[in-house]
Amino acid sequence: MADQLAFQSPVRSADVNEGPLTLVDLTATSSQTLVRGAESGLTPSFGHATRRDDGVLAAATRPDEWTLIGPLGDAGTIASSVTSEGFVTVIDQTHSRARFRLAGDTAAQALEKVCSIDLGDHMTPNGAVVSASVAKVTCDVLRDDVNSTRSYLVICDRSFADYLFSALSDAGAEFGLR
Amino acid sequence: MLIVPCPNCGPRNSADMRYGGESHSRPDPDSTPIEEWRNYLYMHDNPAGWLKETWYCGSGCRRYFTTERNTVTNQFREPAINYPEPGGSQ
Amino acid sequence: MTTSRLSSGGAEIDRSSKISFKWNGKTVNGFEGDTIVSALAGSGHQLVSRSMKYHRKRGLLTADYWDPNCFVQVGDEPNVRAGHRKATNGMDISAQNVWPSLERDMKSANGLVGRFLTPGFYYKTFVRPQFLWPTYQKVLRTFAPGGAVDHQSQPLYFDKRYTHPDVVVAGAGPAGLAAATAAAEAGASVLLVEHDHAVGGHLRWGSDADRDEAARLEAAALAAGVEIMTDATVTGRYDHNWVSINQRSLHASVERLVKARAKVLVVAAGLVERPYVFAGNDALGVMTAGAARRLINLWGVKPGTTAVAMVANEHGDAAVADLEAAGVSVTSVVDGRNGEFVSSTTASKGALSSVTLGDGSTVDADLLITAVGWTAPTSLLNMAGDRPAYDETAARFFPTKLPPEVIPVGGLVGDGSTAQIIEHAAGVGRVAGATGISARRQLQAATTRAAVVDGAEPAIPAMPEPLGRDPHPELYRSDTHGMVDYSEDVSSKDLVAASKEGYDSVELMKRFTTVTMGPSQGKLETVNAVAVLAEARGETIEEVGTTVWRPPYAPISLGALGGRIFEPERVSPIHPWHEANGVTTILAGQWIRPDHYGDAQAEVTNVRNNVGIIDVTPLGKLDLRGPDVPKLLNLLYTNKWSKLAIGSVRYGVMCAEDGVVLDDGVTAHLGEDHYLMTTTSSGAAAIWEWAENWLQTERPHWQVHVTPVTTAYASINIAGPKSRELLSRLTDVDLANEAFGYMRVRTGTIGGVDDCIMWRIGFTGELSYEIHVPSGYALHVWEHLMSEGADLGIGAFGLEAQRIMRLEKGHFIVGQDTDGLTKAPTAGIGGLIKLDKDDFVGKTELSTLDVASLPVLVALQPVDGSVVPEEAAQIVLPDSNDIIGRITSSRFSPTLNRSVCLGQVEPSHAAAGNIVTVLLFSGERIPATVMEHHAHFDPEGARLRG
Repeated sequence: MADQLAFQSPVRSADVNEGPLTLVDLTATSSQTLVRGAESGLTPSFGHATRRDDGVLAAATRPDEWTLIGPLGDAGTIASSVTSEGFVTVIDQTHSRARFRLAGDTAAQALEKVCSIDLGDHMTPNGAVVSASVAKVTCDVLRDDVNSTRSYLVICDRSFADYLFSALSDAGAEFGLR
Repeated sequence: MLIVPCPNCGPRNSADMRYGGESHSRPDPDSTPIEEWRNYLYMHDNPAGWLKETWYCGSGCRRYFTTERNTVTNQFREPAINYPEPGGSQ
Repeated sequence: MTTSRLSSGGAEIDRSSKISFKWNGKTVNGFEGDTIVSALAGSGHQLVSRSMKYHRKRGLLTADYWDPNCFVQVGDEPNVRAGHRKATNGMDISAQNVWPSLERDMKSANGLVGRFLTPGFYYKTFVRPQFLWPTYQKVLRTFAPGGAVDHQSQPLYFDKRYTHPDVVVAGAGPAGLAAATAAAEAGASVLLVEHDHAVGGHLRWGSDADRDEAARLEAAALAAGVEIMTDATVTGRYDHNWVSINQRSLHASVERLVKARAKVLVVAAGLVERPYVFAGNDALGVMTAGAARRLINLWGVKPGTTAVAMVANEHGDAAVADLEAAGVSVTSVVDGRNGEFVSSTTASKGALSSVTLGDGSTVDADLLITAVGWTAPTSLLNMAGDRPAYDETAARFFPTKLPPEVIPVGGLVGDGSTAQIIEHAAGVGRVAGATGISARRQLQAATTRAAVVDGAEPAIPAMPEPLGRDPHPELYRSDTHGMVDYSEDVSSKDLVAASKEGYDSVELMKRFTTVTMGPSQGKLETVNAVAVLAEARGETIEEVGTTVWRPPYAPISLGALGGRIFEPERVSPIHPWHEANGVTTILAGQWIRPDHYGDAQAEVTNVRNNVGIIDVTPLGKLDLRGPDVPKLLNLLYTNKWSKLAIGSVRYGVMCAEDGVVLDDGVTAHLGEDHYLMTTTSSGAAAIWEWAENWLQTERPHWQVHVTPVTTAYASINIAGPKSRELLSRLTDVDLANEAFGYMRVRTGTIGGVDDCIMWRIGFTGELSYEIHVPSGYALHVWEHLMSEGADLGIGAFGLEAQRIMRLEKGHFIVGQDTDGLTKAPTAGIGGLIKLDKDDFVGKTELSTLDVASLPVLVALQPVDGSVVPEEAAQIVLPDSNDIIGRITSSRFSPTLNRSVCLGQVEPSHAAAGNIVTVLLFSGERIPATVMEHHAHFDPEGARLRG
């Protein structure tokens, strides 16, 4: 029945998806599942993310914790695909998180105005995952380049989403956002 | 703004952490005399020199760890030590 | 006119691009590229300001960033450095702190009472009588220096940026440029920061060959990929090379604070020319040799017509040559290398008219330039722990001991020809570059997410041979007394007097006289001040020492420090409905919450009579999984949890190790190895961390996963006698009292949304259901409730109504009715403290408490029910103001039509029926009755459990 109801994103500003730098809200079109426990046997190792064959993005966001991002509605399928041997907890985070994509050649320059992490290729290469404060909100940041264009997935707690989207738009304004 | 060596994330800004104070083992509450217990609760060594202390990597891996830092020079002794793996296997 | 524009020359002005601006209402013309000071000088305006204390006439001294008497108001921006800020067309510039005008400043009457305005006068005057302090304040404010703040000003856009270069180079003179280029050519990422508008340092106002060299150096730096920032100042160096940079002249923002974590910091701050101390050294027309060279060579301005020059180095010689080439008649050159000196000046209406030399002769002049030596601006090095040492032969301070990641270069470390300086700096740059790359590789290797380190470890070359030090005469003070700190109006006589009064250490002298505490922060004043103090004490400069330099290196605007002011706001998924329905919100922590929708009292009545719904999403929710969860609950809560059945809910209180109440909430047993804990809204993050702390540091072998789910659900409390009726219209879960009793939990579908959680608890004291709905669908469910409940009289209610109702029921709020010292028994939950349990947090203190001596939380009702005491009003003894307690919560209850309170009182006054005295904020004292139960209304709780 819930399929008939529209999933509401917390972001009230419009996406900026034209121009050299884009900021798009993916919250309402993606699912997010948290898997905790080394005995889940999941990969990759802490600090890295890979795209699985089924299209799910598996990010090792904390030691022995993985964040799996897939299409909206698939959280259940993803959860049951995780082995339940040993002490493993699976929690649906689709509703408790917002997910944005910041993409463009200047994406790192925009992000470094609001985030103190070294985003250079040495320290945060493509596929790197880091938890950091972005505009004073703790987020998971995944570098997930698309067609060789710099791109970041920014994941934050749902309640901060509208504020964070505005803060990112503001930071990117000088590079063509907004 | 110190650089604190998180054993999981690597060196991070101290603003990404929460300082947990001097690191002392919690005495057994059932067998410890009350004066010693209160000493543990309220008194600090506060040395000018090497200090064993606890940090919480709040904006990063969400793990507690202990380090040794020189309170005069802000040098850290490596490596920082994680607490045992939580949710434990053993 | 003493100063004027030359018909040709001026490397930085564009004579084809004229500009004009207003100066104190008069139009002044200049050229693109002029600073405000050079444009004023080019038009013959010598008088720029009035000094701080004595309001003496002042003009340019250094014609650069440090010029101490050239602060002006530009439009609504006060304290603009006119020696640095470029003049632009249409600027409206005025002098600061003068009345009625710069020319006729009445405040110069201060000069007449100078005898009484000795240093530190404000410590001795304006003290008594105390009742006049507001008057003194008004008077002193009008005399305070600085420009005017326009309260109508619109906020400007400031921002911040983080960066992680391998090398930061502070200063882009020849040494800085060469070091930056060499480091970049070695493969390092390099950020070069220059506070002037162009790179090149002193080469810019030197010979043609010097200017060509500057251009070549700049091109090389750019070609090597160095990031160059001009009109930017390195303002501080903090732990582990955390470097702050104040960047201006940006398109994107007015000013930007750049926070750089530099692996290596190269300090190439150059040398600052020092003024000479003598009587009349602040007359208009007295300036440093560098000022003269800059005026002529950068801006094509003739600094005067008839000049005396006191020179003690090659730079002074070159300045004399520049003056002569510009057509200034240099009638007398006084050579400091031969022991000659200038003794005093005379002025006419503030402007220089003649100079008396050391040999007693007097020379007419309208311009006096001095080149008496250099001060090393070592502040950034000091911030890294260095205590520089004085070298008598070279007559300046040099660095002594630095950590390997902070490297000085250029004039700070020695002297030489331009080529020698460049070669040395390049050698330093290679060391800095390799050191930075090596540090970056180490950082990469230590960081889990980083790219794998590849390639060879760079070899770190040896430092180049040090530069030599040229001898220089020590020239600080003449045989007369003069200004030492121009911006603070502190003379050498003041310093001697302070020393005689006992303020004879350099730190005391500084604070007592305020010398070096002005905008140039000692760059022009410190060494002269130290020399004067040394003389007064009969010691050497080295023995006297210097003060400690702390960030910022140069003043920084509050806007830059503020930046974008990130203040995160949190909202619930139902927020759009609140906004559309007349909500008045309240900021609680970071959350924007509904306080009421127009009439909180009516909301209370509607809940008690019909049904209401409140959005309580910020309620902390922690998902607990694992076989050891009951152990965690028993450890953190004071009561027992092992036997809580699936489907049941229990209330618990958490204490800290010292027995003080930390948090409270209800926890539900949802399923096997699965619990859901709630905490207070303000405690959500802290209690999560608290639980993690215990699990990770003390009980790592327990199998428990704690995951915050506060925002996974919107939490809606449906309260009132018709709440069951309403909820039953949206769910198939059996809500009959027998099937779903008080303090039970169920899961199910509500309004078509699966995986909802329903609790029967009762903060408001009414029959109520707290539903947790997955956030993405929560707004639908809220709207569905509102429409389904229309015929039941549904109304939304906010925090204020909820607070009134919980107070009517006597339910305490942690942090409102308890404080940082409130031990658990005070809150009345003594029955929840199970001392026969194994170790739990707080047990030790709780078991040794003398409970009878603790304050007691009681319900109180003012005898006059129409009086609502303020929260935090003190409870006092009847005949005095001795405090025996306080009101912690207080509201008017529409249900009981009278005021109701909770408060803490000392145990001897806490008996039911006792009348206590409440001291209202107005001073009025009112009687209040201690009630038998905490609940003012329905103490048996019949409405809850139905």
